[in-house]
Order: sequence, then structure tokens, then C-alpha cells
Amino acid sequence: MSLLIRLLQALALLLFVGAATAEHTSNWAVLVSTSRFWFNYRHLANVLSLYRTVKRLGIPDSQIILMLPDDMACNPRNAFPGTVYSNADRAVDLYGDNIEVDYRGYEVTVENFIRLLTDRLDEDVPRSKRLGSDAGSNVLVYMTGHGGDQFLKFQDAEEIGAWDLADAFGQMWEKKRYHELLFMIDTCQANTMYTHFYSPNIVATGSSELDQSSYSHHADNDVGVAVIDRWTYYVLEFLETQVTSANSKLTLGDLFDSYDMSKIHSQPGVRWDLFPGGEQEGRLRTVVDFFGNVQNVEIENANATDPGSLKEDLAEIARLVEKWRKRDEEYSAILGNSSQSQSEGAQSHTVQLSSKKPVGATKMAEAGSWGKRLVGLSVVGACTAVWVAGSILGRSA
Amino acid sequence: MALKSAIRNLRNNPQLLFVRLPNILSFLCIVVGVVWLLLLPLNDYSRQTYISENALLPGQVHAYFTGSEQNIFRGYKKEIQALIQEGPAGLKVATQKYEYTSAGIGYQGENVYGIIHAPRGDATEAIVLVAAWKTADDELNLNGVTLALTLARYFKRWSLWSKDIIFVFPPDSKTGTQAWIDAYHDLHPATVQPLPLKSGALQGALVIEYPFENHFHTLHIVYDGVNGQLPNLDLFNTAVAIAGGQMGIGANLQEMWKHDDSYQDRLKTILRGMTKQGLGYATGAHSSFMPYHIDAITLQPKGEGWEDEMALGRTIESLCRSLNNLLEHLHQSFFFYLLMQSNRFVSIGTYLPSAMLIAGNFTIMAIALWMRTGYYSDSKPGVSAGSDTPKSKSEKPSGTVTEKEVTESKLNGSTVAERVLALPLTLVSGLHLIGLVPLWIFNTIFHQYFTAATYIFVGVDVVLPLILAALLSNGLGISRPIVPQQYLLIKSFALLLLGLSLSTLATLNFSLSFMIGLLCAPLTFITRIQGAAAVRYPISVLGLALLNLLSPPAVLIGVCWYTGVPIETVLTQAAFGWDVWGMWTQVVVWCVWWPAWLIGCVLLGSSMF
Repeated sequence: MSLLIRLLQALALLLFVGAATAEHTSNWAVLVSTSRFWFNYRHLANVLSLYRTVKRLGIPDSQIILMLPDDMACNPRNAFPGTVYSNADRAVDLYGDNIEVDYRGYEVTVENFIRLLTDRLDEDVPRSKRLGSDAGSNVLVYMTGHGGDQFLKFQDAEEIGAWDLADAFGQMWEKKRYHELLFMIDTCQANTMYTHFYSPNIVATGSSELDQSSYSHHADNDVGVAVIDRWTYYVLEFLETQVTSANSKLTLGDLFDSYDMSKIHSQPGVRWDLFPGGEQEGRLRTVVDFFGNVQNVEIENANATDPGSLKEDLAEIARLVEKWRKRDEEYSAILGNSSQSQSEGAQSHTVQLSSKKPVGATKMAEAGSWGKRLVGLSVVGACTAVWVAGSILGRSA
Repeated sequence: MALKSAIRNLRNNPQLLFVRLPNILSFLCIVVGVVWLLLLPLNDYSRQTYISENALLPGQVHAYFTGSEQNIFRGYKKEIQALIQEGPAGLKVATQKYEYTSAGIGYQGENVYGIIHAPRGDATEAIVLVAAWKTADDELNLNGVTLALTLARYFKRWSLWSKDIIFVFPPDSKTGTQAWIDAYHDLHPATVQPLPLKSGALQGALVIEYPFENHFHTLHIVYDGVNGQLPNLDLFNTAVAIAGGQMGIGANLQEMWKHDDSYQDRLKTILRGMTKQGLGYATGAHSSFMPYHIDAITLQPKGEGWEDEMALGRTIESLCRSLNNLLEHLHQSFFFYLLMQSNRFVSIGTYLPSAMLIAGNFTIMAIALWMRTGYYSDSKPGVSAGSDTPKSKSEKPSGTVTEKEVTESKLNGSTVAERVLALPLTLVSGLHLIGLVPLWIFNTIFHQYFTAATYIFVGVDVVLPLILAALLSNGLGISRPIVPQQYLLIKSFALLLLGLSLSTLATLNFSLSFMIGLLCAPLTFITRIQGAAAVRYPISVLGLALLNLLSPPAVLIGVCWYTGVPIETVLTQAAFGWDVWGMWTQVVVWCVWWPAWLIGCVLLGSSMF
């Protein structure tokens, strides 16, 4: 019998965790460009632009995994050596001073990407190459490259399928490697990539539907290549102009509502159904929940209702307060009952008056207090006299 | 039911199956082949050109070759005009002397070339810019050379090259690049000096020709290579896209100055392209690059207009930037195509059936003849009809009976005949080997004898078939005289070889195969004529006369007369092509066409003996 009760308790606990709140304790970002070669300059620029944005909103380099398969900055064809720009105005050098590329060149493979997500890495793999997220982490996964129906090409000869990605996320969930996950992808037929996801707490969005191409936004005629893709460009535009600080209250709903098909030239897609509460709940998540680094303080375990948790404590305190008030009421009720028994038939008002009678008794002692004051005055007077006498005697000596 | 019986009739009627049907089929093949080619210019059969190599990004860069560079251009021009040949400062420069001899004419020259090493590149690849001192039309390429020098100075100051850029200044457009490219790949003959300075694998070559002073209107793009090889279509498309799209200069091809995109103009463009491809000669300095799988084109400004040398320079700059973007050899687009307009083409899959059908007509006839020789029933009537053949009376004296009746009567008792192969095989292979003789003669003798040799050869072509026919009919001096089956076998083997060669050739040089196929088309239908002497002699003489009009030397004379080009020039060029460019057209003419033609004449001639 007790076993059954315990089981039920455990189940209830689990359900409670399942319907978790928006609280998360860390933010991670995995930003992946999957194509190499000079004419794919824009994919690198896409990723670097996003890298800059998440850094601006507070995610530190240690929590960003940046995968760049090619080095456009040092490509001999680059008319501006050492730089990467995502706009023809060349106002911001994305490849500036603070950039930490974690996977570069031929390290960017499907295998490495899946190993990174699922943390199936050797012990000697350095921290910078690991996704250290846990059950409290919100993870942003952004991918860009050349894709097709349910696949995304990696570099020259590899591709990752929609099922591979779904399984990787599934495994991440099982291993408690994310709390909530925002998946973004900019490639041709991008929306097909998230069709097979099955693990919960994922919001997915892509740039184009099945059989649709994703287009580049504009070319820089001095660099000689297209510098950014349309969908990424407009997502960034929203992030740069609207989400100006880490305190922004703009939601994912706002971000997705900003999609304008006439500008993007393809039909972006959003998938909510894996998110608890669906679209209604998902839309309320703020953008900085994923792009920023909002750290909620966790006491032991913020979500749990175990003894000792903050919630438990607060509830306990509330219970105690309630208990004391009740006790107080009970006490006063008991007192009232006793006075009633003393002067029967009297009203509650009189009861209160009668209960103040002991206070009246203390007043009676006021007369005696004058005597005490007199004693005190005489003592002070005597002391003063002694002091005066002493000082006179001392001067004479 | 009716169909079934019709099929049964067909199967049981060898006359129809082996004599009539092949003729019909072969004829249909030729007609369809020609009609097919004529359909190609239509919109439904041709395609808009497009750039398939993503890396090229044509016209996506600003070209800055302008303004002050024009002063440099003028400066260099002055210097060149004063004949002070001096490479631009800072370039590694080298020279290469070479010497060729062909048809008794010596060709000497010295190539000058310089290399810009890509400042941040890995020196494994290079682009070539060629400006010959003399254009393909033998004009002084003054502006072209000056432009190349100015570009060399200008390119030197960019740091964005991923490939080295080699500037080559050959003395002329015929020999210089050939010597240079041969030596670049260490495949040069002893008379050509090796190159002292080299770079990486060549990815593309552009030839600049600007021999006149005035401003130009359009850009003429020449793309035909030696032996009909073509550069990758992407290179041509990039040039058209940059000239037209970015610079606003129109592009022409195949000397079609006025192209209104009509059916006639498209067909004309295709046919001009096919002629150049079929003849397989070098159309400019770029042609020599093609055998080494280096895609190359010549850019020729043409017409009176408002575009100046700076516009051409910017076009070349932009083209170089596109080539610079390449990550690997041009390979995405077509290497086999026929262009009909600067933005329309047909690819090999669409046009190949045309030449294949024509080549196939010979094969069909050859197979039919082979089957036919397997029946006694079929060979005998032929024997009986030809009353002057020694063996004729041996079996059935039925000279008046029509062939069909005979065939049908013999059909039921038809047995498998033994084929006598020795003589036909020897003759056919022997005659093909004899083709080496004119091949050697026309590539070796001095140029002043070419005209005479051609006329002599016309004479030889008249006499030789008759002599051979007489020898054959009289048993060649060997004990057994020839039987009619062997005539059929000779024709079968000759056509089989012709069909085989032409269908193979069609995949390599479509135009040549198509042209030779058309010229040989009558050979399918030529047989030994039988019947009364009064009919036989006039027909065979007339036939021989007509065939002689289609002999290789006669066609050469006819074409030269029509175009007004001296025979000597053509043959000198051909010999030069053979000696220097590695042209194979002559081999096809003398070892495929001529033997097949000769055998056709022998068969026709044999009806007189």
C-alpha cells in the first residue's frame, strides 16, 4: 500500500516537471555553416552575423559552438583580406577581433556535429568543442548551407538527413541536454529539415518550404559574391533593430510575425507542436530566452518541489503564517469564551471591555510610581551633594 | 489478322526483307538525319544558355579598369609604336624561340611571356591572357597588345588573385601559342625551345584581338578549337553574360554580324559553326589550348560604335575575376554543343541522333548485305542476271525472269550459303591502307605542288576504280574469278567500316561525321548494275561520272572554286594543321571517306566488265 502511494507521488512529481515553467539557467548556441568554397561566402557571413548577435545579447564564447567549414577571410579571392562582411556597406567586420571558431575546416562534419549535440565525444576533446548544456539550458541551433528535401549538405560530399537531426535532438532530450531548444535553418527547402523532430520542447523555424529555394539578399560587387541570405538578413534585422538589449521583452511570436514573404521571397515555416502548450505558449517565450543569456537563479533545483526548494520553503512559510493566524484566532476565541462564561449574556463588545480590565489594574499602580520617582530624585540629589562636597574638598587640598 | 499475315509475308519474303527494306530504311535514316538537323534551330529543340558553374559568378564584381589606366594604355601604345618592347615592371618575363616547317614553308618566331604570381594564391593554377602581335587575320594587333600590357600592370596591383596570371605575346596567332602551350606541357618538338618559366595548371585562356583604332560596337567571340573541340560552354556563356549583362556590349559569334534570331539566321550560325568544327582547323590563337583541355576563347571587338579599349579591358577584367573564382576546372557545362545565337544552343543529346542516323544508314545496309549473302536464293539470280559472268549459266538460265520472282521461287528451297570472305576482306582492308598514300603525299610535298597534285589525284580517282574493277572481274590474275556474292560482301564490309567510323567520329566531331556521312550517302545505294549491256554501260558510266564529282579531291576543288580560296592555301593550311596543330581531318578524309568512295566506284565500275 505504501509502495503504491510512493509510486503515485513519483508520478505526480514527474508530471509536474513535465509541465515545466520557462525557467532556464543557461543559454547555449550552436551556429553551423555547412558549406565551403568562395561562392558560398554568404553562408559564412550568415553564421557570423548570428554569432555577433548572440554575443551582443550576452551569450559568452564559452557557450557558443561556432562551426565554420571555410576561411573566407583568408581566401586569396577576398579583396579585403582578413575580413568578412554581411552587408555591402561593409560597416561591420564580422571577422573582427573577438571571434572564437570551435570547429573549422574539415572538422565540420556530420559526425562531429551529431557527436557535439549528443556529447558522444572522447574524454580528451577540449571544452571549447563540447556542448556543455544540461536540463536547464536553452539551446539555439542555427544552421545554414545548401540543402534539399530533408537533407542539408555538409561541405563537399556529406549530408545530414532530417531523421539524423531528429534523432540527435531526441537523444539530447533523453540525456537532459536541453530545457528548451530553438532550431533555425536557412537553406533551400529548409522547412523539411524539422519535419521529423519528435522530442519535446522544440520550436523550429526554417526559411523555405518544400520545393522552394532560399535566396541570397544582395551581393557586394567589390567582394564579388552574395554576402547574406534573405531570411537570415530579415531575422537579423529584427534582432538588431528590435531586440536592442538583453532585457528585451519581445517574444518569439513577435520574431515570427516579422517574417514578410514579399521580402524573403520564400515561405518561412514555424513548428510549434512539440512545445508544451503549443503555439500559444511558445509565442510567449522571449527572444532573449534563446538569443540572450538570461540566467535565472536556481536554488538547488528551481523546478523541483523537493523539500528544501525555494517553492517548498515559500509554501511552508505561507502555511506557517496561516497556521499562526488560525492559532491566534483560536486563542482569542478561547479567551472570549472564558469572559462569556464570567459575565453571561453580555455582548462581545463588553467582553472586549472586560478583557481590558487587567490593563486597568495596572493603572492602579500609577500612584506608587510617584513614590518611586521621589526616591530616585533624592538619590540623584544625594549623589550631586557628594560630588559637590568632594570637589570643594579636593580644591582646598 | 491482316497485320499478322502482313508480318508473315514480310518474314517470308527475303527480297523485301534484305533488298527493299534496307534501301528504304537507309534512305529514311538519311532523310530523318538531315531533317533532324534542320529542326534544331527551332525553339522546341534548342535551349537557352545558362551558367551551370556556381563558382563563376559572372558580372558580380565592379570592374575598375578605367580612368587613369587609359593614360597608361596610351603610354604603352606610344612605346610599342616606337617598337620598344618592354614588359611591365615587376613581372617575371621569359622568352621562347621556336621553329616549324610544313609543306616546305618555315615558320619562326619568339614568344614573350610574363607571369603575375598570385600574391596570396598557392601557385598551382593559372589563367592565360594572350595578345598575339598578329591577329588570326594577319593584322597588327596594336591595341590588343597594348591592352594586355596595361592589364598586366593593372592586375599586378590587385591582391585578390587565387591563380597566377600569365601574359603571352606570341608573334602570330597560328604558331606562337601552339609552341608555347606544347612547351608548357613539355610536349614540344625539338625545334621548339622549352619554357624557362612556368606556373601551375592552366584553367582558362583569353585571347585579345584589337587590331584597329576606332571604337567598337560588339564583341565577336571565337570559340572553335583544333579538331572541332570546343571550350566549356560556361566560358562562352560567362563572356556573353559579362559583355552583354554587365558592360552592355553585344556579343556575336560565327561572324553573324546581323542576327535577328530568325530560323534562317540560327540555322546559318549552326552551319557556320559546323563547317569550322568539321574542318577542324585553328580559328585563332585560342584554338591551340583546346587539345590540352584548357578552355579558351578569342575576344574580337567588331564594328563601329562607342565602346573603347577600356570597355574591352573591363570585360576582360571581369572575365578574369570570374575565372579567378573557379575552384576546379570548368566541368559543369557542356563541351559538346552547337550554338545558334549568343544565348541559344543545342547540346549533344539533341543533335547527335542526326549524325548517328546518317552513320547508321551505312550500318543497316551493311548488315542487310551480310544477311543477303547468306542465301543461295539471293545470290544466284544476281549471277543469272549478269550473263557475262563466267558462272552465270551454271544453275538457272533465267535472265528474263524478274529478280523477285526468282527469289520467291527459290525461297522455299533456300539454304545457308557459304561466304567467301578472303577476297572482300583483303580488298577492303587493302584499299583503306592505300588511303595512307594520299595522306602522306598531301602532308609532305611542298606547297607549290599542291594544286597540281590535286588535279592529278582527280585523274587517278577516275582511272583507279576502273582498273580495280577490271582486275576484280578477271580474277585478279588469281585462279578463281570473283563471284557476285563477293561484290555484295565487299560493299557490306566497306559500308560496315564506314558506318562504324562515322558513328564513332560523331561523338568526337559531330560536324565532320555529318558532312562525310552526307557526302558518302550515295554509296549506300550503289551496286553492281546488271542487265542488258545497252542499259548497263550508260548507267554505270553516268554513275561513275556523278560519283567522281563527289570524290574527295573533286569536292575540294568545287568548294575552293565556290569560296574563291586557292586550293594551295587550303592544302597548305591543312598540312600545317597536320604538322603543327595535330589536326586529324585528313585522316578521316583519306582513310575513311576516300576508301569507301573508291569501293563504291569499283562496284559501279565492275558492272562494265
